[in-house]
Amino acid sequence: MSDLKRQAEDVRSSFEQAIASVTATDALQELRVRYLGKKGELTALLKSLGKLPPDERPQAGEAVNALRGQIEEKIERKKQDLTRAEDAAAEALDKVDVTLPSRGRPAGAFHPVAQTMHEIVSIMLGLGYSVALGPEIEEEHYNFECLNMPSWHPARDMQDTFYFPADEETGRRLLRTHTSPVQVRSMLQYGAPLRIVCPGKVYRRDNDPTHSPMFNQLEGLLVEEDVSFSVLKGSLRELMNGFFGRELKNRFRASYFPFTEPSMELDIECVECGGKNLSCRVCKGTGWLEVCGMGMVHPFVVRSGGIDPERYNGFAFGLGLDRMAMLKYGINDLRLLFDGNVSYFLSGRDA
Amino acid sequence: MRASWQLLSRLIDLPASPEETAERLTMSGAEVESIVRPGSRVSGVVVAHILSLEKHPSRDDLLIASLDTGRGKHACVTAAANMKAGDKVFYGAPGSTLPDIEELGIRDFDGVRSEGMMLSGKEMGLPDVDLTAGLLVLPPGAPLGADALTLYGLGDVLLDISVTPNRGDLLSILGVARELKGLFPSAVLKPMPWDEVLPGDDSWPVEFGSVTLPDPGCLNYHLGLATDVDIGPSPLEIRVALAHLGMRPISNIVDVTNYVMLLLGQPLHAFDLNTLPKREITVRSAAAGEMIVTLDGKERRLTPKDMLITSGSGPKSEPIALAGVMGGEQTGIRDDTKIVVLEGASFSALRVGHTSRRLGITSEAASRYSRGVDPTLSAVGVDYALTLMREWGGASIGYKKISAFNAQPDPKPVLLTRKKLQTYLLWSDMEKAAEILEGYGLRPAQAPRAEERAFIPPAWRPDIIIEEDLIEEVGRWRGYDEAPVRMPGVLPRRGDAGASTSLALSLRACAIARGYAEAITYSFLPESFVTALHLPEDDPRARPLSLENPISQDWTVMRTTLLPGLLNGLRTSAASGWRGPVRLFEIGRAFLKDEKGHRELDVLGALVCNGTDPRTPWRETLDDFLSVKADAEALLQVTGHSASFVQGREPFGHSGQSADVRVKGEKIGYLARLSPAIQRETDFSNQPIYVFELNLSALEEAEKPAYTPASSFPATFRDISMLTPEGKTKDDAAADIRSAAGSSEKMLERVTLFDVYSGKGVPQGYRSMAFSLCYRVRDRTLNDEEVDKIHNAIRDTLTQKGYNMR
Repeated sequence: MSDLKRQAEDVRSSFEQAIASVTATDALQELRVRYLGKKGELTALLKSLGKLPPDERPQAGEAVNALRGQIEEKIERKKQDLTRAEDAAAEALDKVDVTLPSRGRPAGAFHPVAQTMHEIVSIMLGLGYSVALGPEIEEEHYNFECLNMPSWHPARDMQDTFYFPADEETGRRLLRTHTSPVQVRSMLQYGAPLRIVCPGKVYRRDNDPTHSPMFNQLEGLLVEEDVSFSVLKGSLRELMNGFFGRELKNRFRASYFPFTEPSMELDIECVECGGKNLSCRVCKGTGWLEVCGMGMVHPFVVRSGGIDPERYNGFAFGLGLDRMAMLKYGINDLRLLFDGNVSYFLSGRDA
Repeated sequence: MRASWQLLSRLIDLPASPEETAERLTMSGAEVESIVRPGSRVSGVVVAHILSLEKHPSRDDLLIASLDTGRGKHACVTAAANMKAGDKVFYGAPGSTLPDIEELGIRDFDGVRSEGMMLSGKEMGLPDVDLTAGLLVLPPGAPLGADALTLYGLGDVLLDISVTPNRGDLLSILGVARELKGLFPSAVLKPMPWDEVLPGDDSWPVEFGSVTLPDPGCLNYHLGLATDVDIGPSPLEIRVALAHLGMRPISNIVDVTNYVMLLLGQPLHAFDLNTLPKREITVRSAAAGEMIVTLDGKERRLTPKDMLITSGSGPKSEPIALAGVMGGEQTGIRDDTKIVVLEGASFSALRVGHTSRRLGITSEAASRYSRGVDPTLSAVGVDYALTLMREWGGASIGYKKISAFNAQPDPKPVLLTRKKLQTYLLWSDMEKAAEILEGYGLRPAQAPRAEERAFIPPAWRPDIIIEEDLIEEVGRWRGYDEAPVRMPGVLPRRGDAGASTSLALSLRACAIARGYAEAITYSFLPESFVTALHLPEDDPRARPLSLENPISQDWTVMRTTLLPGLLNGLRTSAASGWRGPVRLFEIGRAFLKDEKGHRELDVLGALVCNGTDPRTPWRETLDDFLSVKADAEALLQVTGHSASFVQGREPFGHSGQSADVRVKGEKIGYLARLSPAIQRETDFSNQPIYVFELNLSALEEAEKPAYTPASSFPATFRDISMLTPEGKTKDDAAADIRSAAGSSEKMLERVTLFDVYSGKGVPQGYRSMAFSLCYRVRDRTLNDEEVDKIHNAIRDTLTQKGYNMR
């Protein structure tokens, strides 16, 4: 065995010993320098190759290069192992209790009634209805007279009204008792054909667990040529099924409103029990929920809207957004909706 | 309105059960809210004969009855004393049930065995039919051993009908019977009991003047006479019927008027002849300010729109009743009344409706008249009532009515065309339609054109006036579930949500994502909110619109700001135990007075408080003025607006932490921390409350974003750190930097504050501010010398302006 070969074996065995005791990447780097650096042991060996007789050089060179290759590979492998271990140790130090409360604000919450309004509006936009809004402080003229409800009319008993003190200039103003005046205002403004929904707050002098002096309605109106009741059915079916997200049984009962003729009411199957529970708190065991009043717009009202009832006719419907929200979200007490209590609207959150 | 099945059955033969009838009525417009069986909790009660009565051996207050039910004899102990041997009574043998007793048994009364119980009306569930304390003594003809529920209407079935305001006719058994005749074509109306009554012809045995009707609101007026009246109780079955229908039996005469009203729908009024001030009747409109004391003891001030029944003649005649609404106090029936003058009249629905609404009187008469009573019923009602007075009260009748008339309504024919019927219902069988309408009592008439039909509505249906009314009759008969379903015709476009609804939608999405809970609070406030918010007199928010008729002291005026509602939300949240942060927003209207009266503003209001227990592991997340500013800014940014916040002043705001929010230079809202004074007055003195309100009408039109690509040449950055006099805001300092750049300002792309500090190391009256300045132009690379030159010039200028460079 030549000297060189023996020296190479010495380097190998000292490297093997040294690498075995390395436990950190920086020590490994030192090791690399010690063997493979410019002044490293293996580098010195390579340099000494030149001193060999020319016929021995190829063989010895091959052996030293092979050793270099092995050393490099072992260092690389060790480096990977050590890096992995060091990452793991570092990660362990950076461990976070993922159950700690998040930093920053949690999301807020929608109000069920506002959400209901926007959902229904969105369904109706798809059917070509546009949104029309009107004042909450109304004139008696638009709230009652235009809607075929003169002051002596018994239907006025159904709507106890908030008034403002009479004023010489403006006449008697009131808080609108329904969103129907927007119908008349819109007909006067846009004429026919017309398809609108009018969401908004309305007011009646009632206050008990099922009546709030302020509540929210959405009114729909369609005035075109040759409108049939069937189109009203179609519109409301889409509205109800779209809002509750499923096919609901419905029935249309005859009813009465001064501003529509004929008039009907829509009952939908109880969304709570589907008519299966005789002591259901929501439908009182009837299986039906009264959700919407409607009818073909009375010719008097069409005329109040400046439209010729001989040429155009249409339908209108009105529903309580609060009631719809209560049905969808299982809310029992209307009064909980209007006091801004975050413990209710953020129910289930830690605070 | 309650309809008695037994009374209905006297007028109509129905091919349907009460349940089927109720369903049909409900679907066709007269909603039956419930079917009531008042006798359903009575069982096993029969008629028994009292054979004898003995004293209890040891108890003076008890009697022992020996009873015969026809099927056996029973001994029964009772504390009642109003019966005698030979009387017939209702008896519940052991095992019977009563409304308040689950099962009668055998009891021992001090050594005497008592089987079951002899009963009063009260114990049967009908306290009003009892005439005296004690047992309900039955008429002598009561069939021995018969089940109580087969007698006197005790087993009746009642339909609770919700009658709509257009259908006054349904406020009577007769009206319901006619409606059912229309709904069930195979039903048969029976001869009406009053059809056989002959009007009397005798002259009055007492002197009585004329009836005059100067007020055309009285369509007709009839006075009947009954003499030798014997005031006493009505027959048992009438007392039962009245009690079932919700009226208290009073005396035979009064009961007659109520019974006829329930049956026919015709209100009647009985006067005691001897209490009439003058024997002459005038129906006139009231004089302005005229007074009457109505039966309920209340004094009413009248207007010329009210109509009076008066005694005497001329404008000074003495009021005895408010026509169609309520009788007067003086002239009612008494226990010793002998001669009854009976009024049956027809009044204008409009006039009665007006008076009853204005005075808030909802009597049985007023609720009928204001919905319209068939004007042909008044005479019939009087005649029929008189015969009942004879039957129940032994009265002498047969006298000719004193009557007066004004113009009577004349029902006009209404046309039905195939075209409109088809349009509305997508159905147009004119033959069938005619059949349906005739079933409801409309009479066919001659139509002007062949494709039309004409119908004359019956007197009891004044609500049928136009073609749509006929279509409704047909539609509800067929049932609206029959109509096919169609979608609205295709429009070339989707509907338009409108600026305000679209804006609200984006705003709420942003606010919710930033941690705010959406609220809807009342538009009403107590007037005290003005002082609670320290609003000075000249603040437009200090002059809210007042309601004329508020429902509560807490809700007397319209809100001019959403702030009080949100503060109340904070209070309510804390009161319900919520201790954490409260972030609320509301989008709604505020109402401000202005020169035209008032205007309604769409407003977004928000409130933030760290809560009653703000402890958190992450103190840096607690809200303060600037974190809430970020929210207000974000709301404006997502809706396409850039806002500036300048030092402002709100009456309720902290003087050092209030800002005006400006968009395009216009104030559109405020952001403020509540002032310490207001904080002390709320229940949240220890935690700051931040509020902002934005006027949304200014935001409906979004600005388009102005997109600019970055310059392709590199930027050069230099920092400026300087002591800034305290009077200078950050915006002032940044503006000073820009103006210091002079003509080179266009090279200054951005001026960004990256540090602000006051305290140790910074002299009193100064803040240390550090800005990063970005120099960059679009067409070339700026070299260092160039930038240094500008930057140094800026520093020099700033120093001259009083800033200390660091």
